[in-house]
Amino acid sequence: MIAGDGDAVGVLATIWKWAPLIGRGFLLNILISVLAMAMGTVAGLALGLGQIAPYAVLRRPAQIVTQFFRNAPWLVLLFYCILLLPYQMTVGDWTVPMPAWIKATIGLALPVMGNVSEIVRGGIQALPQAQWDSAESLAFSRRQTLWMVILPQAIKPMLPPWMNLYAVLIMATPLASIVGVEEAMTLTRFALSAENRSELLLPMYLALLVAFFAYCYPIARWTARLERRFAVKH
Amino acid sequence: MPVRLASFASALAAAAVALLLTVATAVAAVDDIKAIQAKGVLVVGVKADYRPWGFIDPSGAIVGMEIDMAREIADKLGVRLEMVPVTTANRIEFLRQGRIDLILATMSDTPARRQASTVIDPPYYAGGTNILARKSLNFQRWQELRGRRVCALQGAYYNRPVAENWGAIIVAFPGVPEAMIDLLAGNCDAFVQDSSLIASTLVSDPVKWADYEMPMETFGEQAWVMAVSAANREGSFARFLAHLSQDWHRSGHLIALEKKWGIPPSPFLKSMHDKL
Repeated sequence: MIAGDGDAVGVLATIWKWAPLIGRGFLLNILISVLAMAMGTVAGLALGLGQIAPYAVLRRPAQIVTQFFRNAPWLVLLFYCILLLPYQMTVGDWTVPMPAWIKATIGLALPVMGNVSEIVRGGIQALPQAQWDSAESLAFSRRQTLWMVILPQAIKPMLPPWMNLYAVLIMATPLASIVGVEEAMTLTRFALSAENRSELLLPMYLALLVAFFAYCYPIARWTARLERRFAVKH
Repeated sequence: MPVRLASFASALAAAAVALLLTVATAVAAVDDIKAIQAKGVLVVGVKADYRPWGFIDPSGAIVGMEIDMAREIADKLGVRLEMVPVTTANRIEFLRQGRIDLILATMSDTPARRQASTVIDPPYYAGGTNILARKSLNFQRWQELRGRRVCALQGAYYNRPVAENWGAIIVAFPGVPEAMIDLLAGNCDAFVQDSSLIASTLVSDPVKWADYEMPMETFGEQAWVMAVSAANREGSFARFLAHLSQDWHRSGHLIALEKKWGIPPSPFLKSMHDKL
């Protein structure tokens, strides 16, 4: 096979032809990542606060759950959610469908939760003990200290690792193609099968890589900038 | 105290999982014709990565020979057609869960699948197993594959006989394009596949495949079948599909569809047409 100019034009034209469809798939990747990040952050914040709770009855389970989900392979968690959750739920008279992408979102939110929990714990524990002590001397309750003194200061150093986590998450969303979610990776594979031209394989996957890079790189740069800005404070 | 709380939490989690599983199985048995018409939609599991039987066009719509068949079934029942892309590995599971009403996804007939689902007779297609290989390798007999790297698709039933009977080293890929590129790059000596897919590949681009051939004697002709839930073995839907499949053979409709989608004429369809 000779790859002449005609071929290169043909390959570009083919990628262009499929771009709208695969682009729609990429929007699903973004949607999954944003939802999983939101769910994982809320749950992870609760879990992280649990990890620094003064009561062992709260602290121990929070630590175990955190370590479990932080050290589990993402793909295995994804499989678990896809296989264990039903494809629809019946609540009273209502039947709520559970499409594969929602199950995948839940599956990806679990490791995010574990990681956010550690970010929260680390961010809070990095603050000097004096912050707690002085709040206590001002007669703040523990809850007031946490919400009004500790968390507002801890959020800034938590932000860069949290954004790093998001970048890892968006790059992990093509895992959902293995469990049948029609995101960009799945649609690229479908398009390749429809074209049935093996010379398209590398260019089409390259186009997908470029799309992910274009989305992730600005986030990475922004994270690096925040890291530099917050570094001087300590 | 923490221990008791933890065991309570795990009991709660177990109960939740059990509840979810009950919900999943409770909705399974709904596929006779009346239930489908009450739903107003026929959900069919199809392939979206197996040209020309089921593949997508640039708008994202699934098209192909099996999709035409699925559309006709839905039209005859007077319901809307919904298609769920399935893979070889998950289609029976989807049927068991009730997520799809019908499998129409290049599924070949095996005893295990007959047990796990209700297979519709007669089959609507049949294909054997053969290889796509470079002419210069001059393969003639399956025995010559011993110790050769042979590309294949993950989950295909013929991978095992090719490896066990003839000692080929199977390199399995998730999709046809990945396997083809490995073959074209010379990493594999052959690509073991359904004979009808190889035949349609060879005619689709005679220039690109000029140096390639389908050299072996096709073995293990396997019928392709539709399947509905195992729970509805005696259901009206299974009976309806069996009649429809017969009509399709008798009227020559399947032969016409085969031609429409550029699939080389299969001896199976001709013999079924002549027989009925």
